[in-house]
Amino acid sequence: MEFAELIKTPRADNVVLHRPFHLAVEGTLCLTGHHLIFSSRRQDNAEELWLLHSNIDSIEKRFVGSLGSIIIKCKDLRIIQLDIPGMEECLNIASSIEALSTLDSVTLMYPFFYRPMFEVLEDGWSSFLLEQEFELLSSVTNEWRLSCVNKEFSVCPSYPPVVIVPKSVDDEALRKVALFRHGGRFPVLSYYHKKNGMAMMRSSQPLTGTNGRRCKEDEKLVNATLRSGRRGFVIDTRPLTVAQQARAKGGGFEQEVHYPQWRRIHKYIERFHILQESFIKLVEACNDQSHNMDRWLSKLEASNWLTHIKELLTAACLAAQCIDREGASVLVHGSEGTDSTLQVTSLAQIILDPRCRTIRGFEALIVREWLQAGHPFQQRCAQSAYSNSKQKWEAPVFLLFLECVWQIHRQFPCSFEFNEKFLVLLFEHAYASQFGTFLGNNENERAKLKLPQKTMSLWSWVNRPEELSRFQNPLYEANSLVIWPSVAPQSLQLWEGVFLRWNRPSRFLEEAEEERINIIKYNKELQARVNTLRRRLAEMEADEGVQQE
Amino acid sequence: LLRSSQPLTGPNRRRCREDEKLLGTILDEGERGFIIDTRSAQAAKQARMGGGGTEPKSSYPQWRRLHRALERGRPLQESFIRLVEACSDPSPSMERWLGRLESSRWLGHVKAALSTACLAAQCLDREDSKVLVHGAEGTDTTLLVTALAQLILDPSCRTLEGFQGLLEREWIQAGHPFQLRCARSASSHARGKQEAPLFLLFLDCVWQLSRQFPLSLEFGERLLLTLFDNAYASAYGTFLCNNERERSLCKVKESTHSLWAWLNQPEEKQKYLNPLYSHNPLVIWPSVEPQSIQLWQGLFLRWIRPSQHLEEAWVEIQRLVEGN
Repeated sequence: MEFAELIKTPRADNVVLHRPFHLAVEGTLCLTGHHLIFSSRRQDNAEELWLLHSNIDSIEKRFVGSLGSIIIKCKDLRIIQLDIPGMEECLNIASSIEALSTLDSVTLMYPFFYRPMFEVLEDGWSSFLLEQEFELLSSVTNEWRLSCVNKEFSVCPSYPPVVIVPKSVDDEALRKVALFRHGGRFPVLSYYHKKNGMAMMRSSQPLTGTNGRRCKEDEKLVNATLRSGRRGFVIDTRPLTVAQQARAKGGGFEQEVHYPQWRRIHKYIERFHILQESFIKLVEACNDQSHNMDRWLSKLEASNWLTHIKELLTAACLAAQCIDREGASVLVHGSEGTDSTLQVTSLAQIILDPRCRTIRGFEALIVREWLQAGHPFQQRCAQSAYSNSKQKWEAPVFLLFLECVWQIHRQFPCSFEFNEKFLVLLFEHAYASQFGTFLGNNENERAKLKLPQKTMSLWSWVNRPEELSRFQNPLYEANSLVIWPSVAPQSLQLWEGVFLRWNRPSRFLEEAEEERINIIKYNKELQARVNTLRRRLAEMEADEGVQQE
Repeated sequence: LLRSSQPLTGPNRRRCREDEKLLGTILDEGERGFIIDTRSAQAAKQARMGGGGTEPKSSYPQWRRLHRALERGRPLQESFIRLVEACSDPSPSMERWLGRLESSRWLGHVKAALSTACLAAQCLDREDSKVLVHGAEGTDTTLLVTALAQLILDPSCRTLEGFQGLLEREWIQAGHPFQLRCARSASSHARGKQEAPLFLLFLDCVWQLSRQFPLSLEFGERLLLTLFDNAYASAYGTFLCNNERERSLCKVKESTHSLWAWLNQPEEKQKYLNPLYSHNPLVIWPSVEPQSIQLWQGLFLRWIRPSQHLEEAWVEIQRLVEGN
């Protein structure tokens, strides 16, 4: 299949581009297999826009006389408009864009065609292997082991090939447990809290069904994480009624009679379909031009987005409290174990583990708890808030997590090595990217598509010193604390950096950030100079002393 | 930019040639001016029954009147009380919080004040027209608009010294009745008389400006909080009484210390300066989109949520600047 077949008109002149914070400018529009390129050559400066077709959520056509306009709504929430002279040209371009931005097959996506223009110092595909994590773990405890039972992805199709499980559980037992858990997602280690040796595990729902099925191996596995005589907590992200109803479809929850040492807490996190609706309503409210404060506040409330933020933060705090304050092990699961489960476990680690607040630690967290753990990115990020097509599996689950990280970042501005821009970058690349990191739904698919061989990893690019410097937080001071965010609604604010990004220029905020960075840089330079001068003074004094003798 | 109180036209359509002449001489031949009336058109019309009113078109032909209704008095105090109550709610749901925030209408008042100030500034800067601002008494919403407009237009008002001058001129000497307005705050059970948080509304608007233009004000949030505190209860005489006449009768200048004298001491001053400040000679136009206006957490959640880490971050930057 040739891309050229889909492009009815590869080029149009005298097109006017309207985009946020820029004046309208006339130039030439080109369509390639993967990009929409606009360029205007003027005497003083050339303006260019490169837009990945995969970043386009929906397009609208408008006609005024013979001038056609195409309004492009992007997955990163930007809206741009192209005025194209000539109705036929406009229609051709619109349908070309439509076709190019709705390609189904993953192998046609840009990451397979992207050739990096930079020198690759580190291959991001092998930067964050689970084996490396396990090495770090075994330096503090020997209660765990690395299991390759899933190396053909035959036991659990959505898990990675290696997982960390309690030492006392062998591969045979794991196979049995996989049959007892939805989608084969048996409990695995998510996080080990060095301070007190407590563990957080995650899984999917147990398939107890209406007959109250049990699996002794499953019970043994989770009990292996408990200290003798101590209790554990199961955090179920469904309300009790839903968990009970799940039994009729073959699912269920851990029954007290079989798991006597475990106390179950239901901490409801919204299902992903509802999240998508919430997202759409919020973006509509942000674009509302009616200038009415009451309308804005009631639309904000009706979207329920901030409620979801509060729910997730509360659930993560709960998990963290069980581990850090109660000194208990925790098992987190919902139904499938691929959405709210991962939100809770990864956010809890931000709270508990200072390493996750460093740049590399945060990248490792995302690779471990989202990518390898099998969050279905391809499905969830297929459409964003402007999509016209019928919703299937899309939901801003990852975005909600990133926003919660931002809320915590805002409350603890000195505790994160990365800045807000880094979080926004990850949001963008999850939806559309030249890198293959977020393609596919799990490691199984990524291996089949040969992504590590055929595409470049986002980490290879972002971890280069020139790039990384843009994402560092100048106020960062490493601390080893557990940081407890406030979940009071009054403390939670809308993430302007994503939702109001294109409504209001952030030039001044960026200038302020740059100024902060400059102040700190200058301070370091002066410190270095002071140290040099002190040394020279000491030498001179020593010489003088020698001379006097 | 001029300010006054309402003309006493009354039900009989009184005129005052001297008033017309005064406003007439301000404008050049053929030039137009704008009168920004901070009452709704209806309220302004009704005011005639009580002896007040508006400038009739026939007597002031060169002036065009614009109405921008700004809330004051008891309704504004109620708004403040409701917001503070909502903030103190220990564990509301998100819906309840947003619902209460909306029904307090406080953010709406912030938006209205900023919008009106922008309007006045636009008339001066963009339309090259002179502006007269008044409400009813000319001591509340009038001063809110003129003071904010000057912050928008004039970079010298954005320095620490200039801002103090602005406050002295447009609030204290202009006769905003601080004693009456700041007799009680949001928690008082006593039956309200003349209290209204106009000055707090002004400080909130200034905070919104500092958030949107973090490099353009020489002072930071800390100064605004200190001013809020001192307006309601102070060891200094600066905010005592209701106008200059009362201050001279009570011999305030002779018998009390000035807040500015204390603030301007080098050791104190440091704490109030914005380390990111860099002189910006331009007019700064704030966004008054509802989405751009945020709750002033530093004030309304001050005692509810410790902002220790944010303060630490601020102090760290200041320390670095001093160190440099």
